[in-house]
Amino acid sequence: MISFESVCHDIGSTRIFSDRTLCVNKNEKILILGKSGLGKTSLFRLILGFEQPISGQIRVNGLQVNQTHIHQIRGQIFYLSQDIDLKNEVILRLLTEVWEFNFSRPLPLEMVDKLLTFLELSPAILQKRTTDLSGGERQRTGLLIGFLLDRPIWLLDEPTSALDDTMKKKIADHILSSDKTCIIISHDHRWQENPTVRIERWS
Amino acid sequence: MGAHDLSLFSLVSLLIFLVPILYISRYLKLGINRTILIGMARMCLQLSFVGLYLEFLFKLDSPWLNGAYLLLMIAIACHSILKSSNLKVRIFFKPLFFALLIPFSVVLLFFNAVVVHIENLFEAKYLVPIGGMLLGNCLRSVIIGLTNFYSGLKKNEREYLYSLALFNSQTQALKPWFKESLAAAINPTLASMATIGLVSLPGMMTGQILGGSIPLVAIKYQIAIMGCIFYTEYFSVILSILFSLKTGFNAFGVLKPDLFQNVHN
Repeated sequence: MISFESVCHDIGSTRIFSDRTLCVNKNEKILILGKSGLGKTSLFRLILGFEQPISGQIRVNGLQVNQTHIHQIRGQIFYLSQDIDLKNEVILRLLTEVWEFNFSRPLPLEMVDKLLTFLELSPAILQKRTTDLSGGERQRTGLLIGFLLDRPIWLLDEPTSALDDTMKKKIADHILSSDKTCIIISHDHRWQENPTVRIERWS
Repeated sequence: MGAHDLSLFSLVSLLIFLVPILYISRYLKLGINRTILIGMARMCLQLSFVGLYLEFLFKLDSPWLNGAYLLLMIAIACHSILKSSNLKVRIFFKPLFFALLIPFSVVLLFFNAVVVHIENLFEAKYLVPIGGMLLGNCLRSVIIGLTNFYSGLKKNEREYLYSLALFNSQTQALKPWFKESLAAAINPTLASMATIGLVSLPGMMTGQILGGSIPLVAIKYQIAIMGCIFYTEYFSVILSILFSLKTGFNAFGVLKPDLFQNVHN
């Protein structure tokens, strides 16, 4: 589903990847572990076409990440960035905009309600602005958008860092038992404890 | 009829007021005397030059020459806009040139043909001063528009990229910055339209009245020109942002890294 073949990548004059190879199969869940500064976030940015490698090939679903395929590729990926950089907007309006733009039909409110309950978010949050959310609320709102979009590939960058322990476990178990193809960057042990996850250690 | 000519001596006499200004600035150690003097000198020189040039242009009144002069004005405007917006000329000159040229020529020719009904659409007497007014006003709004758009995006680049991932559409992801920049760019003109006549008498009207027009005619011209300024500004700002997308972003919809003239801004 996602493959890196001998990818070299620089940021400025720093070499981030030299000859990086990675293969993620369909429905597989991969957890990437390693110190910061090893280019874990760059991995996601390369897959999404936000950065371009010096050499090597990156493929998503058999398609090479290039300007011809980028639209098709991004349409299959849900990305949760570390800081969940949602634009400043009232949550309900943001959800509506994201949903209507992607699916051209009205936002199903009962589905939003179900997800709010699952994520243990109060419905009052829909009237808040993204800038007024706490770290934990932000992460859960990001995940809520992910569940709504329901895209087949999930790239999660520290998705549970601001959540309490029970919530961490609940989210990790839920995502790992889904049919998504996932690459997860996380320092939380909750993700490692689940046997379905394949651990990739970078050093 | 017509305004009194000013003698060189009377013009120079106005410099008297500069003396206390220079003195006060020096006393307060404002450190702006040099800038004041250079600014005054440039204004005098540039206007004298334009005066001579316009005499020549009016006498010749060749449509080609007038047209070429307008193109030159647009090119200078582009340079000046990009310098003030801190954007690289190499990347943005071409899109900006067309973004100014299109609304500018449509509005200007419409003004000459349909509003004023002049025979020769390229008559220097109308084309050059009206063109100058339109362009001069566009300058400010396009600077505000482009600066807002690109520095806003640069500052919130991660937010933009995140929207790009969620919407999978560059246009949709750019919308908030586009809206904000357009509003910031045209707001000053809207505000001045709302107070015009109450607070300030516009320069064009003053000039026409001094030149011998009756106030009612001067007002009509003023109304027409205010409209034209607003339309030209509005479309120039929109087009300058739209046209710049092709050169300002890479094929992946990501902001190019070297858009700015000075990196630290």
